[in-house]
Amino acid sequence: MQDILHILKTQGGDIVHSIGQHIGLSLISLLIAALIAIPLAILLMNHKRSANIMLQITSILQTIPSLALLGILIPIVGIGTVPSIIALVIYAVMPIFQNTYAGLTTIDPNLEEAATAFGLSRRMKLFRIELPLALPMIISGIRIAMVLIIGTATLAALIGAGGLGTYILLGIETNNNALLIIGAVLSALLALIFGAAIDWLGRLSFKKVGIILATLVVLIGGFAGYRKIASPETTITVAGKMGSEPEILINMYKDLIEHDHPRMKVATKANFGGTSFLFKALKSGSIDIYPEFTGTVLESLVKGQKSASHDPTKTYQVAKSALKSQYRMAYLKPMAYQNGYDLAVTKSFAAKYHLKTISDLTAVEGKIHAGFDPDFYQLKDGYPGLSKTYNLKFASAKTMEPSIRYKAIVNGKVNLVDGYTTDPEIQEYHLVTLKDDKRFFPPYQGAPLMTEKLLTAHPELRPTLNKLAGKVTTTDMQKMNYRVTVKHEKAATVARDYLKSHGLLD
Amino acid sequence: MIEFKNVSKRYTTNQAINDLNLTIPTGDFFVLVGPSGSGKTTTLKMLNRLIEPTDGNIYFNDKRIIDYDLKQLRLQMGYVLQNIALFPNLTIQENIAIQAESLGWPRKERIERARALLKQVDLDPDKYATRMPSELSGGEQQRVGIIRALAIKPKVVLMDEPFSALDPISRKQLQDLVLRLHKELSMTFVFVTHDMHEALRLGQHIAVMRLGHIQQVGTSQDIMEHPANDFVRGFFETEQAVQPETIQRLLDHGYGTATAAAPSLSTTSTVSELAAALKTTSAAVVATESGSRELSTADLLDYLAMKEVD
Repeated sequence: MQDILHILKTQGGDIVHSIGQHIGLSLISLLIAALIAIPLAILLMNHKRSANIMLQITSILQTIPSLALLGILIPIVGIGTVPSIIALVIYAVMPIFQNTYAGLTTIDPNLEEAATAFGLSRRMKLFRIELPLALPMIISGIRIAMVLIIGTATLAALIGAGGLGTYILLGIETNNNALLIIGAVLSALLALIFGAAIDWLGRLSFKKVGIILATLVVLIGGFAGYRKIASPETTITVAGKMGSEPEILINMYKDLIEHDHPRMKVATKANFGGTSFLFKALKSGSIDIYPEFTGTVLESLVKGQKSASHDPTKTYQVAKSALKSQYRMAYLKPMAYQNGYDLAVTKSFAAKYHLKTISDLTAVEGKIHAGFDPDFYQLKDGYPGLSKTYNLKFASAKTMEPSIRYKAIVNGKVNLVDGYTTDPEIQEYHLVTLKDDKRFFPPYQGAPLMTEKLLTAHPELRPTLNKLAGKVTTTDMQKMNYRVTVKHEKAATVARDYLKSHGLLD
Repeated sequence: MIEFKNVSKRYTTNQAINDLNLTIPTGDFFVLVGPSGSGKTTTLKMLNRLIEPTDGNIYFNDKRIIDYDLKQLRLQMGYVLQNIALFPNLTIQENIAIQAESLGWPRKERIERARALLKQVDLDPDKYATRMPSELSGGEQQRVGIIRALAIKPKVVLMDEPFSALDPISRKQLQDLVLRLHKELSMTFVFVTHDMHEALRLGQHIAVMRLGHIQQVGTSQDIMEHPANDFVRGFFETEQAVQPETIQRLLDHGYGTATAAAPSLSTTSTVSELAAALKTTSAAVVATESGSRELSTADLLDYLAMKEVD
C-alpha cells in the first residue's frame, strides 16, 4: 500500500498521461470499430448469407490471440499507436457487428410489414424505426466491445503505444506488485466508468446519441490532428525493453546524441516491449536504436550461434558479425557492465567464510542452502553446469520465484541465491556477489543496436555512442537501478547524473 | 373501384389463390371472410403489393396496380394490421403521423392531424398524444392503429383481421367505430376476418373464400338467405349455432353464492353482459328461481378457465 502511494505521488503525472493514452486509444478504436461494424450490419441486414460469412470472419479474427495479432501487424504497419488501434478495432468489430445485425434482424416482422405497407422510404424506415428499435442491442454490443478494448489495450504497451499496460508489464517484468496493481485497478476502473457512460448513452434518444458520437469524432480527430501538427519533427527514435535499466540507457543515448548533434532530435520510447518486438520494430524501421545484450543476440536473435562463448570479447565479436551478415545491422561497442547470472551471499556470510569467488564455495559447500530461480536451477547455463564446472555440491538447493529469492536470503531461510548482476536488490539488501573466476556464466553486455542504413546516413552517431563503450560498471548500474526502482527517481535524471559525474556531458 | 382479373398466387408447395375474379366498388365496406388458409389475407396483401400475384392483374381505378409508383400506391391505401404493430419507439402522435412525416408535412400540421384523429375516435389528445404505445390497452392501441391508417386520407383502407386479438367487448366497440368511420369518411374499406359474425355485422358486400377460391360474393342478406353451396351454408350455420352463452351456464356449474342484494341481471343475460357488469362492480347479482345469487370476477374467470380446458 505504501509503495502504491509512493508511486502515485512520484509518478502521478506519468500515470495521468498513461490514462489519457489509454482512453485515447480505446475511444478511437471503439469509434472506428463502430463506424465499420454498424454500417456493415445495415448493409448486410437483408443479405443473410453474406452476413453469416461476415459473422464467421469476425469470429475468426476474434480467436487470434492478441499478442499474435500484434506480432503479425508489426512488419506491416510498424509499431506504436497505429497497429494497436488496428488490433483493437479488429477485436471490437465482432461484438458490435453481431449485436447490430441481431438487433436489426430480430425486429418484429409485423413492424417491418407496417413500415413497408405505409410506403416509408428505405432511409426513413432505417432511421425512424429499425435503428431506434435495434439501439439497445447496438449499445450493448458497443459496451461489450468497450470492455474488451480497455482490457486488450493494456497489451498496446508491448508495442510502444503506451497506456496503462505500461504499468502492468513493468510490474510483471520488475516484480513490482504496486505497479501491477496500479495498472490493473486503473484499467478496471476505466472499464467501469465507460460502461456507465455507455449505459447513460443508451438511455438517450437516437438523435442525441448521434450528436454525442459526432462530437466525439470531431474532438478526437481534431486532437489527433493537432498532436500530429504540433509534435516536433523527430529524426531518431531510441527504444528500450521493459524495466529501469534500458530506460536509463536510452536516456543516456538521448543526452549524448542531442548534446553532440544539436540539430538531431531524439525520441525515447521506454518500456517498449520484449526482445522480439524491439528487434522486429528495428527491422521494420519503426525505431532506430535500442540497447541489446550480447548474450541475448546469440541466444535468441541470430541463427546458428547457440553455443555462446564464455569470453565477453569473443561473444561480442561473434554477435556483431552475425548481426551484420544476417540482418545488415550495426552493433556498436558494449559497455563495461555484465548483466548476467551471478551468485550472491550476505555480507556477514561472506566475511565469516572469506568468500570472494565462486571457487571459494567449495570449502563450505556442506553449509550452503541455496535458493534458485526455477530457470537457473534447470538451464545448462545455470546450476547444473555451474556445479559441474566448479565441482560443487550444496547441502540443499530449492527453487523459488525470483522476487521471493532475495527476501529468503535476507530472512535467513537460505544463504546463497542466484541473481542478475545489476539487480538493485543486491545493493538494497547489502549482498555480496561472488566472482565467476572460472568464467562459467555466459557474458551479457549491453551495446547499442541499429541498422547499418542508419549508421551510413548518420556516421556521426558512432563516435557519440561509443563514448559509453567500456563505461558503466556493474556497480554503477546496480546503483542506478536502485535509484530508479527502489527510490523511484526519474530514469532521465539518474542517466544525466551519471553522464555528468563521468565527464561525458557538461 | 378495385378489380381482380384472373389472379393466381402460387407458392412452391401450394396454390394460395386460384383464378380469382372480384370487383370491389368505390366507397364499399367489403369483407373477405373464410377459414384459415382460404387466401383472404393473401388477397388483401396483393392490393398494396406486400404480395405480388403469380398470374393475372389487379386494377385500381382502371389502372394496373403494378403500373403505379409503389410508394404512391401504398400512400393511397391505409393499412391496419392484425397485431396492431404500433412502433414501440414512437409516441402515439408520431405513430399516427408517420406517413405524413414521410410525405414531409410540417411538424405542426402533423400534430394537429394526429390530435384531430384521436378526438374522432374518442381518445383525449391531451392524455394520449404523447404517450408510448405500451401504455395503452389493446383496444386503445387498435384505435390508434386504425386512425394511423387514415392519417393521410387514403382512398382505400385495408384491414387484416384487425380485431381478432381483442377481447369481445373491445371488439364490439371497435366494430361500431369502423362502421361509423366508414360512414363519415367515404373511403373504400376492405376488411379481412375469419369470423362470419363480424363479416355479417360489418360488410356491405361479403366475399366468402375457401382454399383460394371465392365461394360466394353478395350482401349479408344474399348470403344468409341464398347460400351458394354447402360450404357457405355450413360456415353460416356454425355461426348461427353458436348462441351467446348465458349466465345460466355458470349457475349450472355451481358458481355464485346466495345473497340478499337486489339483482341486476337475469339467468338469460349473456356472459359478456356479466363481464361488462363486473367491470364496474366487484360482484354482480343475478335473479334466479331460488333467489338472488352473487357472481364475482373470480367466478367468471374460473368458469372461462374451465371452459378453456374443455
